[in-house]
Amino acid sequence: MLKYIAQRLALAVCIVLVATSALYAVMVSLPGDPTTVLLGPRSTPEMRADFRAQMGLDEPLPMQIVNLWGRLLSGDLGTDYARNRSVASAISAALPHTVALVFGAISWSATLGILLGAFSADQRGGWLDRITGVLSVGLLAAPSFVVALYSLLIFGVTLRWFPTIGAGETGSLGSRIWHLVLPSFAIGISWVGYVARIVRASMLETLGESYIRTARAFGLPRRVVIYNYALRVAILPAVQVLGVGIGGMLSSAVFAEIVFSRPGLGSLIYESVSGRNYPVVMGAMFVAIAFFVACTLIADLVNIALDPRQRNRG
Amino acid sequence: MTRKPASLIPDLSRRQVLGGLAALSATSFGPVTAWASANGKQLNVRLYSEADDFDPIDASGLIDEMLYNCIYRKLIQFKPGDEWGHQLDLAETIEQVDPLKIAFTIKTGQMWSNGFGEITAEDVKFSMERIIDPAMKSRNKADLGPFTHVEVTGTHSGIIHLEKPFAPIWTIALPYITGNVVCKKAVEAAGGRINTAMPPTVSGPYRVVEQRPGERWVLERNPDFGGTPADFDRVDLIMIVDESAAEIAKEAGDVNFTAIGPGSVARVQAKPPAGTELRVHPALFYVWIGLNIEHPKFTDPRVRQAIQHAIDVPSIVEASYYNVAEPSTGIIAPGLIGHRKASLIPPQADYAKARALLTEAGIDRLEITLNVLNNVIFTTAAQVLQATMVQAGIDLKIEVHESGSFWTLGVASDGDRWKTVELVMKRFSMTPDPFYATAWFTTAEIGNWNWERFSNAEFDALHEAAMIETDSAKRDTMYQRMQDLMEESGGYRFITHGVTPNLYDTSIIPATRPDGIPLVQYFRAA
Repeated sequence: MLKYIAQRLALAVCIVLVATSALYAVMVSLPGDPTTVLLGPRSTPEMRADFRAQMGLDEPLPMQIVNLWGRLLSGDLGTDYARNRSVASAISAALPHTVALVFGAISWSATLGILLGAFSADQRGGWLDRITGVLSVGLLAAPSFVVALYSLLIFGVTLRWFPTIGAGETGSLGSRIWHLVLPSFAIGISWVGYVARIVRASMLETLGESYIRTARAFGLPRRVVIYNYALRVAILPAVQVLGVGIGGMLSSAVFAEIVFSRPGLGSLIYESVSGRNYPVVMGAMFVAIAFFVACTLIADLVNIALDPRQRNRG
Repeated sequence: MTRKPASLIPDLSRRQVLGGLAALSATSFGPVTAWASANGKQLNVRLYSEADDFDPIDASGLIDEMLYNCIYRKLIQFKPGDEWGHQLDLAETIEQVDPLKIAFTIKTGQMWSNGFGEITAEDVKFSMERIIDPAMKSRNKADLGPFTHVEVTGTHSGIIHLEKPFAPIWTIALPYITGNVVCKKAVEAAGGRINTAMPPTVSGPYRVVEQRPGERWVLERNPDFGGTPADFDRVDLIMIVDESAAEIAKEAGDVNFTAIGPGSVARVQAKPPAGTELRVHPALFYVWIGLNIEHPKFTDPRVRQAIQHAIDVPSIVEASYYNVAEPSTGIIAPGLIGHRKASLIPPQADYAKARALLTEAGIDRLEITLNVLNNVIFTTAAQVLQATMVQAGIDLKIEVHESGSFWTLGVASDGDRWKTVELVMKRFSMTPDPFYATAWFTTAEIGNWNWERFSNAEFDALHEAAMIETDSAKRDTMYQRMQDLMEESGGYRFITHGVTPNLYDTSIIPATRPDGIPLVQYFRAA
């Protein structure tokens, strides 16, 4: 078991290393001199040359990647020269908003999706199962950006129930949550359908298992059999998918942050890529990759914890 | 007979249950909405980008300046209204005593916040001289032109010295970024640059209380401000990149003032949202299509002229700017010195003439590429051109770029792309002095911002001469001639200056420059 965890951790580190290096190589090969874009039209060629040297862009590419890793391993994410601040401070200001958005969306969508899936499997073939099926596929097909725009127009503009921009007042949890409702609804909605379909399929398979039949034969109440025994195993595929789904959520967060004018890692990366702000792009991408890899690793470990068969494999 | 068991839940019809739920949800949202809007006398202004920092020495443009306007003072400020001009701010008096000297006195008792004392002429001297100090590497140095130093003649008086006469001192240097006065004592204590998380001290009508990176700057009324107190308890400068998102935020009541896209003007004018007003200002920026004169396809001037005649400016303005803007005659907008009444080539295309010029040059069909930014205004314009230039025998290919790639297309230090660039549709921002517009098209700017690689000795000489000319009438003639030279080169087809449509609540009285740029420090409650 420990060996398995160690292997997964080593693999996670390798993924972060390779993905970050590859992204850096792609980024610097894009057309668009970062010094020209960052310093603007009034910069002189001398200022731009100084700036290139300051950013380490005058070195050969392999050396730049080595330097990047040297900095990252020493815990230095670099300097945002455009705004005279450390990249770490820019990321630490943005990351909590994205984490809140992604986990907010996952929490409500997974909870609802699991319940819908379990309910649907329990009512297999009934009209409630059919309605849930149509609803699940419908939600699955709803593009997040369309949901974002319509929820903005309906709940923000027409009804004025929720704010259309920002992340809420600093120090006010109520305001923060209130500002999180529409964006997390927009990026989580398609996951409800997805999780519901996975849980339903998995649940139907589980309900056919012999230990479930045994539990029923012992006269355990139906609700206990389904929600205490079957669901525990049936949600395993969903947990795995949700771990990987964090990556998709991060992508959705980019446009949600733009549509709802929220701060966050997505909007920071978007703005920095357009502005060729290499240190911020790399720092933010490193954190995003590490975050994604950590989430998939945690999903694996949760699966092991929930499933005795996997625990015993190692 | 069976008896229905007693229940704690009363018998309710489905309709009653739904009605109850609706009432419950309305009640539950009531306090939330009230709590959210209970924020005092607050003004929310949308900005399309985020200010970089608090130091004018590093300012990159308009957005930084909007923040500085709220927290710093200048000797003079742009006067709000429909005509360009300036008004006194920190200065009690200011006058050009001769072409090389400007004498000023500043108002007494004007204080820095946080106990940094009174604003003095030393602060003015420090603020201007640090920008031209080579060691400080300020990208805004050019705005001060031939400024050399400030001679302090008293605690509240001084003389600004110029090496040569410089007309833009009144239109750019003093009322714009480089005119912001910073506190010498505070900046020196901060190590020479204000790159702290919060400004150590301010002098304007508002002070910064919170910076939420990527979202907004929260300002509050500055109790130490020596002028007429600000009208709002709190001002939020909110970053909303997308114009449509800003418009939605305005309709939802989350912002009080925003610029909207030209495409929304007709809709808003036809059905104005309740409690809002729309004001469309003529903008200052200039949009043009430039040809790389050195490209082998365009070495024959007749080919360049053919392209100029094949571009139908009114069609572009109609499709991209929804007929809200007007075709332009050059790079200098109406209302400024140097504006031309008409361009040499009429804005309407003359396809027959274009085709004849191509035939004369021995070309049957011409294939060219137009590079545009990935913005709906530019891509629409490109599609219009693609559809219409065929009539002149020109096949147009469109290349769309994201901003990082686009803004280095013609920059020689970014590789060899400039050699293959053919046509580019560009938009440059502008300040209210023609010097700022012509500066990018001199021979010295080739490979930098002069992507047309236009080189004309007369143009270069006029640019230098007009900068130091103080007679407005003479300057007017000089700048008009410079635009004639640009057009005669065949390298330019001027499109428009665009518009700034501002949408705002009727509960506020906004103050803007004539080009619609908000002067937030002067906003008042209605």
